[in-house]
Amino acid sequence: MNDAVRPRVHDFLKPKLGGHSLSENDDIFALGYVNSLFAMQLARFIQREFDLELTPGDMNFDNFRTVDAIVRLVDAKTGARTTPEVCP
Amino acid sequence: MTRPEPMKVAGPPSGVVATGIKLSLPIPLSLADEIGRRILFLSSDIVDFELVTDTAGVTGVTVYSAEPLDESAVTRKINTALDIDVRPQFATPARVVWRSPVSREVAEGTYEELARAGVVVQTGEGQIALGEPLLELFHYFDRALVDLLKSSVEILQYQYPTLISTETLQTAGYTSAFPHHLFFITRLHNDIDVYRDIQNTYADTPLDERLLRFCRNVDYCLPPTMCYHTFSQYRGTTVGADGPQAVTALGKAFRFEAGYATTMERLWDFTIREMVFMGTRTEVLALRELMMTKVFDFLRELGLSGHCEVSNDPFFGGADTSDRIFSQRMMELKYEVRLPVGSDRTVAVGSFNFHTDLFGRSFGIEHSDGGPVSSACVGFGMERLVYAFLCQFGLDKTNWPPGVRS
Repeated sequence: MNDAVRPRVHDFLKPKLGGHSLSENDDIFALGYVNSLFAMQLARFIQREFDLELTPGDMNFDNFRTVDAIVRLVDAKTGARTTPEVCP
Repeated sequence: MTRPEPMKVAGPPSGVVATGIKLSLPIPLSLADEIGRRILFLSSDIVDFELVTDTAGVTGVTVYSAEPLDESAVTRKINTALDIDVRPQFATPARVVWRSPVSREVAEGTYEELARAGVVVQTGEGQIALGEPLLELFHYFDRALVDLLKSSVEILQYQYPTLISTETLQTAGYTSAFPHHLFFITRLHNDIDVYRDIQNTYADTPLDERLLRFCRNVDYCLPPTMCYHTFSQYRGTTVGADGPQAVTALGKAFRFEAGYATTMERLWDFTIREMVFMGTRTEVLALRELMMTKVFDFLRELGLSGHCEVSNDPFFGGADTSDRIFSQRMMELKYEVRLPVGSDRTVAVGSFNFHTDLFGRSFGIEHSDGGPVSSACVGFGMERLVYAFLCQFGLDKTNWPPGVRS
């Protein structure tokens, strides 16, 4: 997993959290810190910040709910080398 | 809240003038419906249109009008509207979440048959009168939907007034999100001079738009749906201490539509059965899902063809229109049940909507655990529902499912 992605995602989300902490698997929409219109801001941020183009196939809500999911999406789109989460 | 259909492109009408409009930039074909549902609202001179497409996407629009149009003015209107509402949109994949196992052939001509039999009578633009056996079906489906709801959650039933305050619609954000569908109610200003002016001005002439100068009120509208009545009713209250609050109402709903076919597929004036859930996010999402499951089972048991898909409301012209459409589709805030009414088309007969805490915040409705309440609603357009049933089963009652026949 590309470690450079995660802090940039956190930096983007931080102003929205009202001082609350955010775990990697917290659903940012379910927690109520952002409204539904934030989805568009988030998608635009991902495209701009990581210089990639989101396609209809990427537009699955599960790709945008958590920091972990966003990092996975960016990694997949940018072809970053991923580290297996569970070693054989 | 159900949404209207995307505008149907019927092809060039006879006796009209065609004007070719070039789009400033092509728009992907996946957004063609979003273009089509706006064109007739952009100028009342446009009576029909066709989209021009090539490998680059939608590249132009041919608009039809009774008189020649100012091409540059219409080009500006169309491109401006598409710049605001459509071009910023991300395309999202079509997603079907349920499909009926029944595949039923649907013949054309049901509306004409109903009209010939006197079962439906067109009384005006987008307005019809219903007779038997359509009325029986109407009540059957309404009772069935309420029974599905009652078996899911404890409910309160209301009958709301026909009029709704403009302030309520503005609080709900309707006036900014859907200005194109609004119907205002007004009346003559109560003043003896006004009444005398009217009597004198129109003694021998038909009433016309000059009448509006004698009117002052824009404080009431015709409601586009029932749920805004419910949110207004619960304004400033706290709910949820004993579990989710469920409210249902049947009522007349009105949405201005700029284009019509003479059928029951698109009406100005229709009837909606709406169910509103207020509670925690988890509770209302669970109720929405439960109702979806029950409705799908009901439609399948009846033997109706159809499917349910992710959808979006017809937001129009607002600064955040594309954001709203994208969030609705990507977060699956809205699902629509669509039933075939012809060999090549379906209509949305119902929708399942999750509002997050939008209306809790707008109307100051608090949850007893703290914070604004979350809400969801389920709505069915009753005329469309019974029409889709008749399109699929016909007028002969002997062909109807036993449960409906009895």
